[in-house]
Amino acid sequence: MTRHTGSRLRPLVATFVSAVFFLPLYLVLTNVFKPGHKIIDAPAALPLPPTLDSIRQVLTRPDHLFWYGLINSIEVTAISITILTVLSAMCGHYLARSEGLGAKVMLVVMLAGLMIPPAVIIAPITEVLRSVGLMTSVAGLVLVNVGYYVPFGVFVFAGFVKTIPIEIEQAAAIDGARRLRIFWQVVFPLLRPASASVLIFLGVWIWNDFLNPLIILGPAEGTTVTVGIYRAIGEHQQDYGAVFALMFLATLPILVFYLAFQKHFVKGLTAGASKG
Amino acid sequence: MNRRRLLAASGAAMVMALAGCTAGSKPATSSAGGEVELSFLTFETPNLNAAYWDAAIARASAKVPGVKIKKLVSPIVDRTAYVKQLDASGQMPDIMPAITVAGFAQAGKLADFTQEELTQFVWPESNAVGGKIYQLPYNTQTIPMVYYNKSLFAKAGITTEPKTYADFLEVCAKLKAKGINPIVLGGGGKDTWADMYPLTATVATDVYKNNPAWLADRTAGQTTFADPAFVKAVEKVSALAKDGYIDPAGLSRSYPDTEKAFRDAKGAMYPMGSWFPAAADSKQPGFEIGVFPWPTEDGSLVVPAFTGGGLSVSAKAADVSRAKKWALAFQTDKTNLDAIVKGDGAIIAIKGYQPPADMGPVYQATVAVYDKALHSGTVTTAFSQENGDAALPPGLADKAALGVQDLITGKKTAAQFAAFLDKEWAKAQ
Amino acid sequence: MTATHTRTSAGGRRGRQRPTAHPPRHGRGRSARRLGHLAHFGLFGLPSLALYACIVLIPIGISVYYSLTNRNPFNPPTQWVGARNYQNLATDPDFWKVLTNTIVITIFVTAASNVIGLAIAVLLDRRGWLYNALRGVFFTPVVLSGVVVSVIWQAILTDDGLLNSTLRGLGISDPPGWLSDPDLALYTLSWIVTWQMAGFCVVVYLAGLQGVPHELYEAAAMDGAGPVARFRSVTWPLLAPSVTINTVMLLISTFKIYDQVQVITNGGPGDGTTSTIAFDVIQTGLVGNRIGVSSAIAVVMLVFVAIVSTVVLQLLQRREVKA
Repeated sequence: MTRHTGSRLRPLVATFVSAVFFLPLYLVLTNVFKPGHKIIDAPAALPLPPTLDSIRQVLTRPDHLFWYGLINSIEVTAISITILTVLSAMCGHYLARSEGLGAKVMLVVMLAGLMIPPAVIIAPITEVLRSVGLMTSVAGLVLVNVGYYVPFGVFVFAGFVKTIPIEIEQAAAIDGARRLRIFWQVVFPLLRPASASVLIFLGVWIWNDFLNPLIILGPAEGTTVTVGIYRAIGEHQQDYGAVFALMFLATLPILVFYLAFQKHFVKGLTAGASKG
Repeated sequence: MNRRRLLAASGAAMVMALAGCTAGSKPATSSAGGEVELSFLTFETPNLNAAYWDAAIARASAKVPGVKIKKLVSPIVDRTAYVKQLDASGQMPDIMPAITVAGFAQAGKLADFTQEELTQFVWPESNAVGGKIYQLPYNTQTIPMVYYNKSLFAKAGITTEPKTYADFLEVCAKLKAKGINPIVLGGGGKDTWADMYPLTATVATDVYKNNPAWLADRTAGQTTFADPAFVKAVEKVSALAKDGYIDPAGLSRSYPDTEKAFRDAKGAMYPMGSWFPAAADSKQPGFEIGVFPWPTEDGSLVVPAFTGGGLSVSAKAADVSRAKKWALAFQTDKTNLDAIVKGDGAIIAIKGYQPPADMGPVYQATVAVYDKALHSGTVTTAFSQENGDAALPPGLADKAALGVQDLITGKKTAAQFAAFLDKEWAKAQ
Repeated sequence: MTATHTRTSAGGRRGRQRPTAHPPRHGRGRSARRLGHLAHFGLFGLPSLALYACIVLIPIGISVYYSLTNRNPFNPPTQWVGARNYQNLATDPDFWKVLTNTIVITIFVTAASNVIGLAIAVLLDRRGWLYNALRGVFFTPVVLSGVVVSVIWQAILTDDGLLNSTLRGLGISDPPGWLSDPDLALYTLSWIVTWQMAGFCVVVYLAGLQGVPHELYEAAAMDGAGPVARFRSVTWPLLAPSVTINTVMLLISTFKIYDQVQVITNGGPGDGTTSTIAFDVIQTGLVGNRIGVSSAIAVVMLVFVAIVSTVVLQLLQRREVKA
């Protein structure tokens, strides 16, 4: 194959492969804009004529399930990832700049935490939260999100900080206050790609989290959009239009969030692995 | 400067978080004038939607002064597991519908209803745990009966409903000979439970018919699943699969997909619970539906059924006595009952209740078969659906449903399936 | 709020970057350095470590304690049973099956996502609006929640689902039971997770490919290397960091897989064919009430996780030395 034919074939092959990959997503999209009976009779057909009924139905539910869920999801996700970025940037900085064995052990212990499914430790977590009076509160949920996801942030930041020349921050500063100021004014702005990766990934994970909000927020404190999806696909569910519309609407904010940050985030991840 | 703005932003966020603001939460009102707030766990389906629950709650509250209900909605299908999670995290609801009381009751987590409180109920002793009742036995579900597609039967030249098990096998053979899939079965994904119905039926006809207390014997350790009668019941199901009368591919069908497969005439017979008639009558498929009880060897009538399914009250409810009063008011409200009969095909077990006059033919036919079995005294419990003292240990019903998949795909023989249940029973202790 | 935060920090770099604001001091003693290190730890490291300890380490401690008892909240009293739960697990074939399933899924997904991701990245490694849009297509599944992905694929893969209807339409009368065949379901499940995660690898590999200096390709081409040889000698070695990141991320997300199992197969078809460790812990503890046993399973999982993450970290550091 010559270079010339290759360049003409490539867009076709790429489009075809993407189309195949896209088919499952097409199924959701097309059915969001179809009336219920057509979803069951012709699930793969184009939505002709398209209807906004399912979306309208979700948005105008008398119990405001979607809107309340959206507000809660945004609140929990935004607070959690803000705190996470601040804390894990600092901790990552500490681990990257320390050479002792203690720091190494700390990194391993934290990395192990990343692979523990939250479901495995959720029951003891609720005991911890109850002992400090934070069950069924947003503060409790944020605390759990921060504690559980902080290793990921630390992992990314620690890798990235190593790519930044130590001379910039003049590590000689002894007293903590000055060290803190130098970190925020000089180092943190340079960590922008790493911050972008941490914000995106933790944003996606926390947004999509089902179990923690379900148990820690509890049924009395409202719900998040992801818990709302579970509720919609519940028992003997036949109302596919509403399910697909809810999935679509619940995914939209996080997709937009990703698109806003996508330029930076890969650099934040790979830099840590490439430089020592 | 930027740091200050960042701090201000996260500070504001923290204040919000610490204040515990969530959208959609209704703050608890102070119990002025002796009013008590009770939480009530509901679950929403297309039939029982938010509007239904709100109206139903309002009707019950009107009858019990001084009770204010805080409605909770279960986001997961398995309400029993959800209540367990809530209990483990200190959030057990005060009033909750249709959970498996076994376990909760023994651990003292539920309040019991006295026989005086249960005088309106037809079967006031259903699902007793240690002689006490922890769940209002307000309705009966027959699980299963065989619903069939009259057009497909006619196409295969079948003119009468099978009476004996030999008739039943002949019907299956005739259908198969015409290229019609005889039995529609589901049980895919989270709906694994939907594959249990043929086995529930054969255990009723071959085990419970002769010994209604068989499961109590098993619980007491006086018998095991290796009991030849039980193995024979299992053998019937695996034979149906082996002869190609049950399509193993159906094991990937979710519950809604299973019903759809029957509606789409992808099979002639649909062993299902008595909630199906409500759906069959309200949204009729393009063919007539008939119903017959799962046939026995000798053609006698046996109908497995479960009675119970009502509200339970937490032993730690803010005001147990008023919570029980409210639960009774909710459970016996005529409008509420009519809604559940229409939406879920419930056979109400409350004295003097008459279902709405416009109930459809499939529901009427189902109730007629059940009434006949009641008169002949051949209603048995429904295997794997039992609740109360003689019930499967927690988690075993799920294991059994997974085991049935192996039975249908031929990975387990009847004897292996029985041994599997005995092993899992021992583990569950 | 987060967007503002990042924007302001960007502004901060322009306005305030003063790398030489604090000239180095000389003549500090050892103890002073030690004090500096402690302060650094206390201010920077400790807050994260403390929260991590409260939310992860203490609960793990509680789980370890439970695993040595017969705790069952519905069947008191709780008694100390020592290592009995662990002994039972060691001899329980069901547990080994669950462990094997988890390892199979993890390895399958990690390998398949990497291979597919790299192939697609090579395909999409061009500039232009078309390739930007296609990149978005591949990444979208990554931001979907497990339950959304599960619902979509279940609709496609059940035996009367879209895939088999299509296959039947093409004249294949007996298409496979993707989710109902006990020998197939684990791999079907792995493919679904791969579909979800491949996009992540695509994006990371694309970034890696676009970081390869063009001169290297030209030099290799002048040496007479064909496309395959060029890929092997130039591209592949420079993609090493991308491989590491993808592998770590996939291990992290796949080893704890739960949602997809619960929604798509519920551990079946049949007895435990697709059950994973996380799923087993929940079934045993939450459905079966056997908290003691489920805690023991969780602890075994933790030990496994600790070993894997130590190995992963070693790999990372070795690469750092090489780089």
